[in-house]
Amino acid sequence: MSAVALVAILATAVVVFVQRASPRWALIRDARPTARTDQAGVRARRELTQVLGQRKLFQKALPGAMHAFIFWGFLVLFPTIVEAMLAIVNPDWTLPIVGDTTWFAFLVDLFATMVAIGVGIAFYIRKVQRPDRFRGSHMDEADRILLTILSIVGTLLLWNAAQIALGTFAHPSAAPIADALSKLLGTGQPTETLERVFVWAHVLIVLAFLTYLPKSKHMHIITAAPNVYFAKNGPGGYLAPERIDLEGPEEDMRFGVGTAKDLSKKQLLDLFSCTECGRCQEVCPAWNTGKPLSPKLLIMDLRDHVAGIDPAAMAAGTVELQPLVPNAVTDEVVWDCVTCGACVRECPVDIEHVDAIVDLRRNLVMAESRFPTEAGTMLRGVEGPNQNPWGQPAATRTEWIGEIPVRVLQPGEQAPEYLFWVGCAGAFDERARQTTQSVARLLNAAGIEWAVLGPRERCTGDPARRMGHEYLFQMLAEQNVATFAEAGVQKIVATCAHCFNTLANEYPDYGAKLEVVHHTELLSHLIAGKRLLTTPAASGSVTYHDACYLGRHNGNYDAPRDLLGASGLTTTEMERARERSFCCGAGGARMWMEEGGDARINDTRFAEAAGTGAETVAVACPYCFVMLDDAAKAAGSEMRVADVATLLAEATLGEPGT
Amino acid sequence: MGAVWVYAEVTPEGPQAAALELLTKARTLGADVAAVALGPGASEAVAELGAHGATTVYANDEPVFADQPGRAAAHTLHALIGQHRPALILFASTYDARDVAGRLQALTGSTLMANATDVEGPTRARTEIFGGTKVVDVDLAGPEPRLVLVRPRSFVAEPSGGTATTVPVEVVIPGGATASVIERHAEAASGPKLEEANVVIAGGRGLGGPEPFAMLQELATAIGGAAVGASRAAVDAGWVPYSFQIGQTGKTVKPEIYIAAGISGALQHVVGMKGAKRIVAINKDADAPILRIADIAVIGDLFQIVPALTEEVRKRATS
Amino acid sequence: MNITVLAKYVPNPTGTPELGPDNLLVRTGGDGALDPGDEYGLELALQLVEASGGEVTVVSMGPDEAIAGVQRALAMGAHKGVLITDPALRGADALVTARVLAAAIARQPADLVIAGAESTDGYTGTVPVTMAELLGMASVTAVRRLEVDADGFRIERQTESGYDVLRAPVPTLVTVTAGATEPRYPSLKGIMAAKAKPMERLTAADLGVEDLDASQSVAIVTDAPPKAGGEIVSGEDAIGRIADLLAEAKVI
Repeated sequence: MSAVALVAILATAVVVFVQRASPRWALIRDARPTARTDQAGVRARRELTQVLGQRKLFQKALPGAMHAFIFWGFLVLFPTIVEAMLAIVNPDWTLPIVGDTTWFAFLVDLFATMVAIGVGIAFYIRKVQRPDRFRGSHMDEADRILLTILSIVGTLLLWNAAQIALGTFAHPSAAPIADALSKLLGTGQPTETLERVFVWAHVLIVLAFLTYLPKSKHMHIITAAPNVYFAKNGPGGYLAPERIDLEGPEEDMRFGVGTAKDLSKKQLLDLFSCTECGRCQEVCPAWNTGKPLSPKLLIMDLRDHVAGIDPAAMAAGTVELQPLVPNAVTDEVVWDCVTCGACVRECPVDIEHVDAIVDLRRNLVMAESRFPTEAGTMLRGVEGPNQNPWGQPAATRTEWIGEIPVRVLQPGEQAPEYLFWVGCAGAFDERARQTTQSVARLLNAAGIEWAVLGPRERCTGDPARRMGHEYLFQMLAEQNVATFAEAGVQKIVATCAHCFNTLANEYPDYGAKLEVVHHTELLSHLIAGKRLLTTPAASGSVTYHDACYLGRHNGNYDAPRDLLGASGLTTTEMERARERSFCCGAGGARMWMEEGGDARINDTRFAEAAGTGAETVAVACPYCFVMLDDAAKAAGSEMRVADVATLLAEATLGEPGT
Repeated sequence: MGAVWVYAEVTPEGPQAAALELLTKARTLGADVAAVALGPGASEAVAELGAHGATTVYANDEPVFADQPGRAAAHTLHALIGQHRPALILFASTYDARDVAGRLQALTGSTLMANATDVEGPTRARTEIFGGTKVVDVDLAGPEPRLVLVRPRSFVAEPSGGTATTVPVEVVIPGGATASVIERHAEAASGPKLEEANVVIAGGRGLGGPEPFAMLQELATAIGGAAVGASRAAVDAGWVPYSFQIGQTGKTVKPEIYIAAGISGALQHVVGMKGAKRIVAINKDADAPILRIADIAVIGDLFQIVPALTEEVRKRATS
Repeated sequence: MNITVLAKYVPNPTGTPELGPDNLLVRTGGDGALDPGDEYGLELALQLVEASGGEVTVVSMGPDEAIAGVQRALAMGAHKGVLITDPALRGADALVTARVLAAAIARQPADLVIAGAESTDGYTGTVPVTMAELLGMASVTAVRRLEVDADGFRIERQTESGYDVLRAPVPTLVTVTAGATEPRYPSLKGIMAAKAKPMERLTAADLGVEDLDASQSVAIVTDAPPKAGGEIVSGEDAIGRIADLLAEAKVI
């Protein structure tokens, strides 16, 4: 009788689950593929560290422990669901092999308790600590889920307690919590009934939970592992190309993500993996300065929009899809992003917010020509005859050289060992020129063979690409790669973190075969190899601001700090440093847009730098330089902003011109 | 050689300064100098035009010349040319005179040279190109009269002490469609748009707050035809609205003169004003990059210099 | 309403211009662009036809490369392009240019002809009105605002002291000032669509314009005495120097 009921209920639960899950599954199945199956070893290792090991969850200690208790608990307790079902059919049945072991009884008791503690911590965080990262999350749904989890382990412990009370539990001493609970129960008929109630309740709650899952944020227990597996390998700053051939057939043309049908499999999986934990929101520079963008809300809004679409109708083309912008997320949200990647780094399930935002921008820019007007000047400058964001005359790219001995590579000449990629900011911006000059002097001092392209250099296309103008980026990449090939360039040193990221990580997609180093890496390497002899003549304190595209996106944290040490400076760290550095506000082409919100990102970051009490804030990217220096001036601060190379050059070579 | 004419723009307030400059130049080109003055104020202007070298003034006071810019004057002038056959007509490079000269060229088929900085005679004039880095002498050919548009202030007006005979002119307006002025608006209060102003006075972080922008506005009003702008720093600080912003993410301006007060000259700002013909920078920081691109770099306190400059401009305007 | 927009392809507006051996401006070399001053008028035209229908035709005269300028205008949204390119037109002066462009416009009459107030490379600013006279059209220069109504056009014309409001009939030719509109940035879809739009290439002979001789020729080109570099002044001197500069530029 019980067996029939159980099978019927189980079958119903599975059918309902499949039915409820199938629309989302169909969406993913029909979506644009994401080429993310290479390097299976790297992906498998990530499953071990990040899923099983909960690595990213432990980036926050208490919430990490909370989640790990629940997650590990469920891994261990999974067999008990089967065990309970067996016990429903026949109270004498148990699991083969582990069923009667002491250690399994112990583990079940321990982990069920840990899950309960985890739920307790979760409630403590949500109801007592109430961190801002939950703003906008579905708090009621979370409460329901947590209570359900608690009731699953609660019924399990009570079931075991009832078995202990009835003397049918093999190793009561191995299950101290259940044993303690058993003292509350008698030994008679009521307990026998209760034992049946608890085991049924346990199974029914689990099955009810199963049917609830597909349309809830708790679906992450199924989607998170694949989402982590298919996450982007390699540098976070890399964007996958979207090839655009204007001569090709129009129906093959895709301009980023306009409607739901343009989302890739991974992007959809991202949406169905979000647990609304808000770790991304907590670190987002836009959200933290009062702008509408929250990476969490972006994902939730996209998810809710997509979940409202009938996949069959979409596949058949019988439904008119609404553009995601502004129907799911507003234009402002899409343009607020600095592409700093802090959200992606925090996300425990590897949601790729930044790439999604760039894809949305691609559609707005290339298909709709809809973007903050003021950024148009940058696009015109980059595509115009001078090919730089400021539209400065290309001929003035060498103006920074002055008296410094610099070889400007002429057409037809072969490049020496290093090509120094000056970058547009390094060539035109008064402040960034200091960095360029410092690096030039240091390279000369180290006796490196190097040259610059001078007027033949052009924008790498980074600002255009981050703004969504993939086609303009593609043209510039192809032109620059052709210049490199013609001059036989093999090694490049760049001072701009954005140029570095683009040249190193993205140009290979356009045929470049280059070894690209950031100037901090090269200088650090030259010092280590005793080719550049330094004098630690500087004194005073400095704090180093990690550039997103150097640090978080490319893992270079130590070289700049080493150079500061070699200059004789004492480094004081900001609270948000290294992987958790807070953006200067200029990435993602935000350099070329006006900023709204309650505060400016650069002012916020500068205040943090000034708070260290250091005399200087050192930077390693011209964008950071400009943004933080502007903030220093706005604050009327005496604090100096300088590139690490300038500080090193001053310590080692003295003031320029001496 | 035939006569040299000057197309003298007049208003009821008197002849335009450029007309007197051109007459002064015309005197050096030939003995037979005439002015053509069309529109309200023409008759009253005769004495002053004569005093600057016109021996004859062809005049007509009809408002139609002011109400139908270009067309009425061009046709009337064309008829006059048929009667008197001048060799050369000088115009000032203004919107109105360009309209007259442009239309006249279609009627006469003669050559029209624009942006001249000097005139040697009916067959040669001089101009500057490439931002004044090259001087080009141009030979003028084709049927007379040659038409030359001269940049204002190319010559200094000097009275000759002469007098002119007034010759009334018959209005010639062909049939056909025309555009007519129905309203006139003076915009002294709000001033011209930033992008169109001859002079732009921009304030930056050095102003220290919103109030000093009133000081810049006062200078703009004193100059007339000037507009007030700002750097991004001043806009970000909330001192003036975004519509004031000049630079990469704001407006691009190309005025005759750009006065930067308390602006350091970050690249983001410079790209929006580098097209200015002349740059004046006032900054107390001798290292401010803007001083390096300025034609006149003033190292000093803008709070003293700007009011003193306003005073000086007012003084010169009334003298 | 059908609108014809005149578009000029100019050498790199921020580059270093060069004179060829014949003392004519080098207009080839591939780094030119649609005159930024023409984009304001084109934007105005696009807004007008978007509001009330009709087509925008872009007419340009220049070397082969000038096709890039026309394509840019088509990418922004113009419907048809006409490029008049003819080796015989090299060195054409204002009158020849006006005759050629007027002939092109006469082939396909428009309700409104729009040009920039002056080109970025030549600053002549007379070609549009000369054309208007050749075509017998009304014209208004220095337009900062234009509205269409039942009687034709209500136009605001920039003046030195403010602005005038003019009434103009259909058809009219106008020149538009910088800043009158906010020119759009062409989308990639626009660029692709531009390739399929009608594009006509004409010579002077096609237009029946025969007299192409310029009546101006460059006699001598000399380097101007180097402009005095920036001068650093302070205190009392500063006031006088700035006031002099304002006076020299005829702004006071």
